[in-house]
Amino acid sequence: MNILKRYGLPIFLVVLLILPNLLDPRWQAIAITFLIFSVVALSEDIVLGKAGMFNMGHALFFGMGAYITAILNSQYGWPILATIPVAVLVPALFGIIFAGPIVHLRGDYLLVVTIGINIVFIQVLQNNLGGVTGGPNGIFGLDGLNLFGWQLTSQLSTYYFAFIAMLVTLAVMRNLEKSKAGRALHYLREDSLASESIGINTRTYKIFAFGLGAGLAGLAGTVFATQYSAVSPEAFNFMQSVLFFSIVLVGGSSIPGIFLGVFVMFILPEIFREFSTWRYFVFGFAMILTMILRPHGIWPASFGKIPKFLIKDTDHGA
Amino acid sequence: MKRTIRNMLLTLCAISMMAGLSWADTLKVGVQAPITGSYANEGQGIENGVRLMAEQINAKGGVMGKQIEVIACDDQGTAMAAAICAKDLVNKGVSMVVGSYTSTCAEAAQKTYFKAGVLQTSDGTADSLTEHGYWTFLRNSFPNSAEAAFAASYMVNVKKYQRIAVISDFSSYAAGLAEATVAEIKKAGGNVVTYAKIKAGAQNFTPVLTNIKSKKPDVIFFAGYYSDGGQLRSQQKALKINADFIGGDANDNPDFVKLAGSNAEGAFIINVPSPDVLPYPIAKTFIADYQKKFGSMPPSIWGLMNIDGMRAIIHAMEHNQSFDTKKAADYLHNMDKPLDGITGQISFAADGNRKGGAYVVKRITADGSYSNEYAQ
Amino acid sequence: MDIFFQQLANGLTIGSIFALVALGYTMVYGVMRLINFAHGDMVAASAFVGLTIYTQVMGQATSLVAVVAIFFLAAVVMAGVGIILERLAYRPLREAPRLSAVVSALGASLMIQNGIMLIWGPQMRIFPELIPNISWEINGVVISLIQVLILTLSLALMVALYLFVEKTRMGAAIRASAIDQDAARLMGINVNKIIAIIFIIGSSLGAVGGLFIGLYYRGITFNMGWQYGLYAFIAAILGGIGNIPGAMLGGMLLGLFQAFIAGYVSSTWADAFTFILLILILIVRPTGLLGERVAEKV
Repeated sequence: MNILKRYGLPIFLVVLLILPNLLDPRWQAIAITFLIFSVVALSEDIVLGKAGMFNMGHALFFGMGAYITAILNSQYGWPILATIPVAVLVPALFGIIFAGPIVHLRGDYLLVVTIGINIVFIQVLQNNLGGVTGGPNGIFGLDGLNLFGWQLTSQLSTYYFAFIAMLVTLAVMRNLEKSKAGRALHYLREDSLASESIGINTRTYKIFAFGLGAGLAGLAGTVFATQYSAVSPEAFNFMQSVLFFSIVLVGGSSIPGIFLGVFVMFILPEIFREFSTWRYFVFGFAMILTMILRPHGIWPASFGKIPKFLIKDTDHGA
Repeated sequence: MKRTIRNMLLTLCAISMMAGLSWADTLKVGVQAPITGSYANEGQGIENGVRLMAEQINAKGGVMGKQIEVIACDDQGTAMAAAICAKDLVNKGVSMVVGSYTSTCAEAAQKTYFKAGVLQTSDGTADSLTEHGYWTFLRNSFPNSAEAAFAASYMVNVKKYQRIAVISDFSSYAAGLAEATVAEIKKAGGNVVTYAKIKAGAQNFTPVLTNIKSKKPDVIFFAGYYSDGGQLRSQQKALKINADFIGGDANDNPDFVKLAGSNAEGAFIINVPSPDVLPYPIAKTFIADYQKKFGSMPPSIWGLMNIDGMRAIIHAMEHNQSFDTKKAADYLHNMDKPLDGITGQISFAADGNRKGGAYVVKRITADGSYSNEYAQ
Repeated sequence: MDIFFQQLANGLTIGSIFALVALGYTMVYGVMRLINFAHGDMVAASAFVGLTIYTQVMGQATSLVAVVAIFFLAAVVMAGVGIILERLAYRPLREAPRLSAVVSALGASLMIQNGIMLIWGPQMRIFPELIPNISWEINGVVISLIQVLILTLSLALMVALYLFVEKTRMGAAIRASAIDQDAARLMGINVNKIIAIIFIIGSSLGAVGGLFIGLYYRGITFNMGWQYGLYAFIAAILGGIGNIPGAMLGGMLLGLFQAFIAGYVSSTWADAFTFILLILILIVRPTGLLGERVAEKV
């Protein structure tokens, strides 16, 4: 078990690194989908799992990143990779501004507000605000990846683009866990009143988590827009948010749990296509069953990674 | 890293080329259609029709000796799934794609086919479909602008309405048709008192209709789909708005009458003729074969138009004695003599639009059936 | 002015449907502190159940008795489904973390919605014209028979519910459980029984709302529950969640708000305005119009 804990993730990453070369194009596409949705689910975990905020509108930030890439590429001719900073920063900023007045709301109300803002976002896209979102159809026909004049239009390069986005996300989450902010979030999730009374500024850390999660979701949006060379409103509606919300909680807010959740929700239906009409019925049932049998999720996260320098004086911090 | 990626790319290319060679003994025809979802019966009609046509051609020895292999992809009537389908079908090596049913899905897939040099023929009626300059796209129906011109002239010149209200939903098809109709009405000297938009599926249209009532229109032209059209008509009568109701082609569905119930009587619907009244011999035999194989009529004329698009492309390939898609497109854009089709003569303009247009106005009678009111 | 009154009539009709559905949300939340996400889908399911009762059980008979029987049978069936739902999906999680129950509710919602699709198919089903197509015009304002029926029947049900909760022993037990479940239990109240009763009442009111939707708009789809569920939930928050008269008021106000926004401002932005209103209310007055200030348990 210890070996699995220690080497599980690196082995998994190595498998992901080699995997696409063994797959045909259809399965490559599915593998890319897995990576993209994993990034979104992991970023939702920062908000929901790590900071404990009931966010059911995460598809909004995902969609915002995807739309920014699509608009900058199709309307202003930016290369896809050049849109990344904007597609990460704008959702992050929006997340921070939006979170400001609502972080103090109690759980259920936060849930409803985030659903609401997701629905407003979809309506803005559908009504073609500013004439740039393409209305209900969305935007089609984006360029492929282009790196220093290299046309990286094959699926394989998109796969590695998605893979890098996931590595970035995992690195951010690892750092978060070891950092001051991560510990603060952990305490305030466990007991927000107590953590506030020992001097943790709850509000700042919650807003910080919201911005971080939103930015990473925006990055996933860029990869999404690249993979499908299209964006449209229904890909980011609040049903998607519900799925990400459920994946995090059913998975237990841990990295393996989330990968498992994404696999079950998005990849299994591709394998069992003939059962696709039963898909959501079975998921609904599985969600209820999981919560009854394992209320903390299939693979509950453990917060055991206290940085070494806090335990031993000999090593200094990473 | 860069080198590895390049090596991987090269390997992939080599593999796919080898695969391409080994597949080369069939002519792959893709079907991109809403096989599930709200337009499932139309999508299944397209798939059935293409499979039947392929079977008939294969029985006669195929296309220049090659058998046709049909590969279907379900776009569920949504743009995102359509974009995925397009990539999927191109990956599977199709040389032409039939579909999709909705303009939205056809448009979402267009560029992918264009980049891959795959011919696409769709019954989508949005004008924007032929405005991108893609040589790969061939419209097998008539564009919205043709329907808009017909509807406007019917309302202004034939029925002599003085106060016209126009309603659409947000889809590209409906908004496109409504905007074109408004422009054509104004061109014909007609008077549009209001242009309102509704959210498809919202069910409660009385607030919008109440507003329209205050504008005192003598006709309401609705450019959206039947599922909203039937409810609009019903709520119009419930609000006692004394105006005629004219629905665009997407209202031509038995569910319109069921939804509007006793309020359906007297509503008009503009459309191309339905399959059962097509006078052409080739239509009669194909529809008879279809009924024999699938046990029902084709759901609408749209599926048949798609079959005509497929037949035109195959006709062009046989004429050229080549499977080259660019040559086939060049031939179709400059046809010297139109092809006899299931839905009438078929030929294309240089922009990929089908030439011609044939609309009829149908009136819903007390028992829910249609009576022909006017024909172009 | 006749436009104003017409929009008023429109708004009150749809508002009373919202109110009926909102009562289901607010009662469950009041006692269990749980957003019953499956409630909207229960409403949709009741419309399908009603249609099936009409075609299969009633043999498509159109009479006053038939309509009453449909309402009664659909309410009974949905009350049964409500009890099963509570027993299987919510009761085992009563002591679990709050989020686990939310996920379970979402799961139940997915299950019911897709269960409808598996049983009745993905396409739109259409209600027959069960209520005669009669309407009256008074000073340019048109009111139809079905609107009158919806309004009067909803109001009657809401008054009955109000009296039941305020004036009976059972009602007092419900109010006590909503304030403090543990204390109520110590006072000898069977909280399990109270929760079962709440699900029976909420589900049958929702069933009536679902049938109104079917009879009024006629076209029903398996996924329409989300839309009505969400609106009704907003109505419940607007009035102060957990507060029964608040849900009634919230439903009516939301119906009017939507009618006037769609009628006077823009139908294309109606949803956005509704949710912006919701967000503003939650920021400014999270307890809603009639809700009392409750501190989050710490």
